[in-house]
Order: sequence, then C-alpha cells, then structure tokens
Amino acid sequence: MPDVADRVDVALPVGPAGAAGLEHERGVVRWVGWFATRHPLGFVGALLVLAVALTAIFAPALAPHGPKDAAFATYVAPNAEFPMGTDHLGRDMLSRVVWGARLSLYVGLTSVLFGVTIGALWGAVTAYFGGAADSVSQRVVDSLMALPPIILALALMAALGQSVTNVIVALALLLVPTAARTIRSVALSIKEMPYIEAARAAGAAEWRVIFLHVMPNTLATYIVLVTVNIAYAIVVEAALSFLGLGAPPDEPSWGSMLTAGTQALETAPWMIFFPGLAISLTVFGLNLLGDAIRDITDPRLRGGLG
Amino acid sequence: MRKYILRRLLLFVPSLFGASLLIFVLLRLVPGDIAEIIVYQAGAESSAIQQKQVAQIRAELGLDRPVLVQYLAWLGNALRGDLGQSYIQKRPVTEIIRERFPRSLELAFLTLVVAVVWAVPLGVVSAVRQNTWADYLVRVVSISGLSLPIFFTGVMILWALVRFFRWLPPFEFVSFFDDPAENLKQMVWPTLAQAYYISAPIMRLTRSQMLEVVRHDYVRTARAKGLAERAVVYRHALANSLLPVVTFVGWWGGRLLGGIVIMEIIFSVPGMGTALVQAVSNRDYPTVQAIVFVMALVFLTLNLFVDVIYGWLDPRIRYA
Repeated sequence: MPDVADRVDVALPVGPAGAAGLEHERGVVRWVGWFATRHPLGFVGALLVLAVALTAIFAPALAPHGPKDAAFATYVAPNAEFPMGTDHLGRDMLSRVVWGARLSLYVGLTSVLFGVTIGALWGAVTAYFGGAADSVSQRVVDSLMALPPIILALALMAALGQSVTNVIVALALLLVPTAARTIRSVALSIKEMPYIEAARAAGAAEWRVIFLHVMPNTLATYIVLVTVNIAYAIVVEAALSFLGLGAPPDEPSWGSMLTAGTQALETAPWMIFFPGLAISLTVFGLNLLGDAIRDITDPRLRGGLG
Repeated sequence: MRKYILRRLLLFVPSLFGASLLIFVLLRLVPGDIAEIIVYQAGAESSAIQQKQVAQIRAELGLDRPVLVQYLAWLGNALRGDLGQSYIQKRPVTEIIRERFPRSLELAFLTLVVAVVWAVPLGVVSAVRQNTWADYLVRVVSISGLSLPIFFTGVMILWALVRFFRWLPPFEFVSFFDDPAENLKQMVWPTLAQAYYISAPIMRLTRSQMLEVVRHDYVRTARAKGLAERAVVYRHALANSLLPVVTFVGWWGGRLLGGIVIMEIIFSVPGMGTALVQAVSNRDYPTVQAIVFVMALVFLTLNLFVDVIYGWLDPRIRYA
C-alpha cells in the first residue's frame, strides 16, 4: 500500500508541471521573438554578450593552451596552429584573448555588483532617515565625485598595490557615489508613498520598511545601474591594465595585452588587433543591451527618439 | 545672478576640501606605511639599517604624527602654494605641475574644440534629416565612437602612423610657443583620437535636443511668420538645443581628464597624466597626492564654470 501511495505522489505532479514547462517554454520563445523585433539592436547586443559570456564560462575548454604558458616561439604571426599568433613571451594569443573574456567579465560583474549594492544600501538608508546623516553623506558623495574616475582609480591602485582583487575594490569604490546618489533620489520619492506610511502604521520596524518596502521598489533603477556600468567597469579595468597599473602583467587582461602590443607595433600588430577587437565587441554588445534594458524598464523613455 | 554664483561657490569649497581629505586618507590605507614601502621595495629582509631608514623617512614625511595633524599640515602648506616634495624627483611637486600643466591643458582644450566643432553640425544634420541615410551614418559613427575604448583608438592611430608614415612621437617635447608646427604635429593625433570618443555623445545629445526643441511652439511661430528654414534651425532651434550640450561638457569633464592621461601615455606627451602614472608606479605618494588634488581642483572648477554659464544662458536655473 504505501508503495502505491508513494508512486502516486511522485507521478501526479509530472503532468501539470510538464504542461506548465511547455507553456513556459513557448512564452520564452515568444518573448525572445518580441525582443528581437522590438529592439533589434538590443538583440544583437544580447547575442554578443551571450557569446562573450559563453567564452568566459568555457574558457578552459575553448583555449588550446594555458593563458600563462610561455612555451612557444615569440612573435609568431597568425597561422593555422596559432590563429591569433603568439606574443613577446611566446604565449598563444588566442588562449589569452579567450581567458581575457573571463577576467573582464569577472572583474566587471563583481565590481559593479559590489559597488552598486553598497551604493544602493547607502542611498536608501540615508534617504530614509534624512536629516544630518543624509547631509553629511551627501557631502561625502560630492567629494568622491569631485575626483575624476580614472584618476581616483589610479590613486587607489597606488595605495592598494597591483592585483586583480584590488582592481575590483577600486572599481567598486568608483561606482558607489553614483549609485548612492541615483538610488537616494528614487528612495526619496518612494519614502513618501502611502504604502510606506501604511507599513509604518502597521508597526513595521525601520529596517523592515527599508529592506522590504523601499529597496525592492528601487529594483528597476538598480538593474539599469548594473547593466549600464558593467561595460564602463570593463573599460576602466582595461584602461588601468593598459597603463600597467591594473592586473599584474601575466594575468590575461585585454588591457595589458594591448600594452604589450604597443611595444611591438610594427613587428606584431596582431598583438593589438585581437585584444582590441575583443574588448570593443564586448563593450559594443553591453552598450546596445544596456540601452534596450533602459528602454524597457523606463516607461518615460518608451517610444522616445532613438 | 550674483547670489546664484555665490551659492555655487559655497558648494565648491567643501567639495574641494572633502576631496583632498578623502585622497589623503585613501592614500594612507596602505598596509604598513609609505616609508616601509619605499625602503623594503625589493622585498628584502629587514635589517637594523633599514629600520633606521624607515624611522628617518617617517620623520621626514611627518608620518609619525596622527593622520589629522598630517592632513592639516598638508592643507596649510597647500593653501600657501606648497604641495610637497616629490620623493623620486627630489624637487617641489609644484615645479613639476607648473611645467606639465600647460601641456595637458593644451591637449584638453584642443580636444574639446575639435569635438564640438565637428559633433554639433553633424548632430544638427542628423536631426534635420531624421531617418535618412545621413542620419543613420551619423548614428552609426557615434555609437561606434562610444564603443571603441579610447586607448584602442589611440593605439590603432599610432599603429597606422608607424606603419604607413614611419612616424613616432618625438622624444623631446616642443612647446607650442617655441615651435607651433612641431608641437601640433605631436598634439594632433591624441586630439583626434579623443575628440572622436568625446564627440559621440555630443552628437547624440545635439540630435535628440534638436528633435525635441523643433516641436516647441516658438519654432512653429518662427516658421509661421515666414522665417527662412535656415534661420529657424540655427537661430531658434539650435541656440536652445545647445544648453544641455554645455552641461554635458561638465559631466564628461572627468572622463576627459581620464582620457587625457591615456592619450599622453600613448603619444608620449609629458603632461600631468604621464606624471601621475609615473608617480603611481613609483609609489611617489606626495606627487600622487598633489596631482590628484590639482586634477580635482580642475574638475570642480570646470563644473563651476559650466554651472555659471548655464545659469547665465538659462535664467530659469538661477531662480530654481
């Protein structure tokens, strides 16, 4: 008896769940079709970003050699064995460019998530409480924003020392003031909404109001901040590495690959073409996708002038 | 107007102090301290001599005092025009800045002029001929300009110069006042590379502003009273679309300064940017501190100017 009951229990959900899954699948297909027709540029961007993301995820399988293996002849021009040639230390450029996707996305994603999240918390909390703390925090944001971004990042790298983790810290700090200011302005208007008053009247604790009522309503802004800034963070990381002050030189950063190429402009131009192309396509894709996401999430811009 | 400027100035001063304090504190986040980094650079074993050296450098740089005291001392000196001594070059940082600042300023000025001169007319064309091939061309150019990282554009230009003209940036920098032709020969490439980047958003902004302004009643009135289309576009529509373009220069001032650092490195212009990058890689903290401070000062001044110009152009802002 219990056997049968078990079987029934297990068997029952399969039917409806399967049907729902199918419907869900159809919904996804329809949504992708809608996205491709309504935002063709955004769709191209999404495909590019997807390609870069897949490259980053499957880097170990896709790269024929290790990104740091200096095991080959130096300055080999692109050929069948090395489709992108080799660099000044005899490393396979294809493998470095592929692993570079992983480094770029890792640095871009983590720094933006940290920076924007910290900024969002800061902005929401100070907006909610207002008063002196808010004024002081606004002056701190002003001061941070008074430092030109790349200059601030350079100064931070001087203080922290060169490493991938420190690049992430520096980039995150760069994004905190912008995120704090943007989320604060959104939170200021949310704070005045009747449902916040209702939550307060129902006796909800301050932290509960902030985290469960104010913050979830800033989500659209948060998502736009994240998508728009990933491209920016990737470019700044590459710029820092290009200046020789970001990731250590043996790390496969597209920026430091470009620097190495600059030393051998005439003899090995492939050393600048491929990493440069990789970063341009990535940023191009992220920009197109970011624009589309902004159009979709911000109703005020809907049907605007492209 | 005077009240408005005064209000802006009141915001300017605390931001500058705040920025200088922040930079001071951030540079002291170093694990250990600056003196140890200078002495133990090679990562060698510490010896009695080195420990003595560390103590000496600490006393020299005043690092044995509390951070706040250090900051106030630095600020006092800065207000009297003394930004400290470069630890590597062994001379006052103000001397380095005085020598290099004009070069970076020239580069920034040229970039802005070239970007505005070519982006605004293209933005107007793109708006006036909306949805024609001219419009699409301008939009493709501007979106590609936004996506090509400035250091890649710069390196590609350098590559083309080396490959096709055998031209390399000169070792010796020539000032504009000594030999304008020689000077511009070096400055024109970084200017173009950065202007291409900066012009993209200016183009987009001019275009979207034009499209919006054209819908206003006063433009219809201008047309209705029989003005030539050219007068409508330039005197009425363009004049009003340029307002946000002015603010834009303020917003992007920071990116402009960052871009200048990169351009100077690629095209070997010995300006503020190259000095900063050198100082960072040598961990020459007094120099880093001073240059970042001057950059923040420039950035804030630029924003102040933009605000004042904006208030002057658009009276609504002053009374807001």
